Amino acid sequence: MPGTVFIIDDDEAIRDALAWLFQSRDVDTREFASAEAFLATLPDHSAGCILLDIRMEGMSGIELFDRLREHACRLPVIFLTGHGDVPVAVSALKKGAHDFVEKPFNDNELVDRVIEALALDAQRRARDENRASLASRLASLSGRERAVMDLVLTGKLNKQIADELGIAVRTVEVHRAHLFDKMGVRTAVELAQLVATA
Amino acid sequence: MPATGSGASPSSYSKTSALPILAIGLIVLLLGVLLAVINEREIDDERQSLIKSALWAEQYLALQLTSTEERLQQLALQFGADGRPSPSLLAQAHQLITARPEIERLLMLDAEGQPFRAIPPMAAMTHRGAEASDAFRLARARGTSAYSAPLLTEGGVHGVELHQPVFHDGKFAGTLAAVIALPALLNDNVPWWFAERYHLEIVDASGPLAAKSRIPAENGGLSHSIALERPGRGLMLVVTVYHSQTDLAGNFLVAAILVLAIAAIWSLFSMRRHSAHRLRAEQALRAEHAFRKAMEDSLTVGMRARDLAGRITYVNPAFCRMVGYSTEELVSRGPPMPYWVPEELERTVALHEAVLAGNAPAEGFELPFRRKDGERFEALVYEAPLIDADGRHAGWMASVVDITERKIAEELAHQQSEKLQHTARLAVMGEMASAIAHELNQPLSAIASYATGCLNRVEAGDVDAKKLSGALTKLSKQAHRAGQIIRRVYGFVRKAEPDMRACDLGPIIQDMVELMRPEAARRGVRLAMRIAPRLPLVEADSIQMGQLVANLARNGIEAMVGTPKTQRVLTISAKADGGEVRVCVADNGTGIADEITEQLFTPFFTTKEDGMGMGLKICRSIIEQHGGRLWHEAGNNGGCVFHFALPAVRP
Repeated sequence: MPGTVFIIDDDEAIRDALAWLFQSRDVDTREFASAEAFLATLPDHSAGCILLDIRMEGMSGIELFDRLREHACRLPVIFLTGHGDVPVAVSALKKGAHDFVEKPFNDNELVDRVIEALALDAQRRARDENRASLASRLASLSGRERAVMDLVLTGKLNKQIADELGIAVRTVEVHRAHLFDKMGVRTAVELAQLVATA
Repeated sequence: MPATGSGASPSSYSKTSALPILAIGLIVLLLGVLLAVINEREIDDERQSLIKSALWAEQYLALQLTSTEERLQQLALQFGADGRPSPSLLAQAHQLITARPEIERLLMLDAEGQPFRAIPPMAAMTHRGAEASDAFRLARARGTSAYSAPLLTEGGVHGVELHQPVFHDGKFAGTLAAVIALPALLNDNVPWWFAERYHLEIVDASGPLAAKSRIPAENGGLSHSIALERPGRGLMLVVTVYHSQTDLAGNFLVAAILVLAIAAIWSLFSMRRHSAHRLRAEQALRAEHAFRKAMEDSLTVGMRARDLAGRITYVNPAFCRMVGYSTEELVSRGPPMPYWVPEELERTVALHEAVLAGNAPAEGFELPFRRKDGERFEALVYEAPLIDADGRHAGWMASVVDITERKIAEELAHQQSEKLQHTARLAVMGEMASAIAHELNQPLSAIASYATGCLNRVEAGDVDAKKLSGALTKLSKQAHRAGQIIRRVYGFVRKAEPDMRACDLGPIIQDMVELMRPEAARRGVRLAMRIAPRLPLVEADSIQMGQLVANLARNGIEAMVGTPKTQRVLTISAKADGGEVRVCVADNGTGIADEITEQLFTPFFTTKEDGMGMGLKICRSIIEQHGGRLWHEAGNNGGCVFHFALPAVRP
């Protein structure tokens, strides 16, 4: 399974037991005894998710969550909540936390949710990558190629495009070939799909 | 209490006060009239007596003169034929002059009126006044004795001459004349007592000729004039009353009456002023009395006054209502009072005697009383000494309050407070349960995770005995941890009813502290325990003691929110202190502001956002139930120290 689960809990037994559990399902873990410790070694671009205890000595889970958002960390966060912490967890969800799990939890369900989060993270990372490559491809287009692409995307034929831009049909065909090449597509439909997904 | 005095109104007062003045005026007037009448009568009497006296004096003088005339007649008869006086006549003449001092001298005149003999002898016989000649001629003409007009005698005084014709053989031969000095006539013939009362004067038209008076006559005195029959010739006897003593007495009387009248009127006025003053005072008193009466009647507090012997002298309506007896039934009653409760008689009498001895408790005392209908009620009695107008201690004034309802209310409040305490205790238990649940979650979650991890591996066929046994060891450790928590909690929730028994506070505190440790750790508070070994046992309910410690510890922990983390230490100590076991819970928090110290133990007072305000109230009621004390003081380095002390059980 790609990505690592960052377990942040001040109870050593919990950390250890969760690590044991996740490893039994082939999920990599890294454990931190406090929020401060996690912030100190914040893995910037690692793939994974965060499993965060709400009640902790020192910086609380919610505080850490807020700090991570400030740092634009996009790792999904799953809160571990104790008895009576549900309202706090709900407010965290509204702020963008991925999920919360109430203790005592159904362990494999927890693992499932974590895996789900990891998948989401991976997916988001892939989408981010797509978006980044499309942007670089669009940036490589010349002005005329960009104009031709915009008209192609509106579904116009080469002749109509030539009329609109006041250039020869032939020239339109050349631009179109270059632009398809640069964008890595073969048909107008593919182009439309590529632009739409980004 | 004084009876309501009903006095006359001020207007009727002024009306009635005018009457005495009028009466006094009338009396003065009547007295004046009476005096005038008496005076008049007196003057009248005086005049009468004056006239009488004057008549008497005139008669007396006339009698003397008549007697002189008779003597002269006898002497005249003894003249001899030669017209010469016989020796016996001379002797008799001498005798007459001696006997009658008023007769200054006797003259013998011849028919021509020439004196030829004088007894006593005279220096010049020739010089004769007209008045004497006149008398001579009158005597000669009439043949009877005749008086002259007043004349100046040889002795230099006024007098008259009395001529007695002498006949010789039926032929006028001359006269025998006696010169009568008027002053001597008055002096020697008017008695002394007459002169004491009256001033006598013989006057003629030209003025006074002779007078007899003890003192010089004054003008204005009552006087009476009477013509002297003898010697006649216009001579008048004037009798004047001396200024009488009665006048002085009368004046004095009038003055005294006037003074008395003025004094009476003055005293009347001053009495009127005084009574007006008194009236005002009385009105003020009535107003005051009415005010007091209204006050007494409106009181719901019973008032009862007793004299020094313990007899009731006064009760107000509220007291009567309270005990159901009327004022008449109560006033002047002595002990035992009808409202005393027979069962409590001994205590009541003791209190009664203490009050009379002046040993009444200043804060009042509670006593059951009995109403007339037999109903009992609790009374709160305050006694105060009753001081009369002279400043003497005259008895005791008591205020009596029926506190039955208050007692019921107190009982109710007590019950409610107990209910509330119970509720609050439940709330605390709930809070504790929450903390316990959270604590249990930790090992249980760990256990579940270890177990699931193992299962996952076994299912996947990844059976590394060494790995699994490591995980299972950890699992069992967590199970043990959970068991420990449960055991500790069990100790506290097992018994619901308070169970007082000798117990050692040390382990109770220890258990509680262990239970609180996670919570403290989450808040960054270090718990320090200093429990002296071999603490004396105390009679206590261990659950409540645990609650007490937990409450105080939680307060301490919460008080250190603002303290830097490194300094957040809660110290719980226990030691033997005298006959007590003392437990101190000290924090390093912000301490307690003076202004909230007082409210600290009142229910629902809280400084916490989510506090119920019951914690310290419960703590205090728990400690009071155990006969101990709970207090707090400022800590050595900021913060606050709560102490509680329980009496140790004697071994």
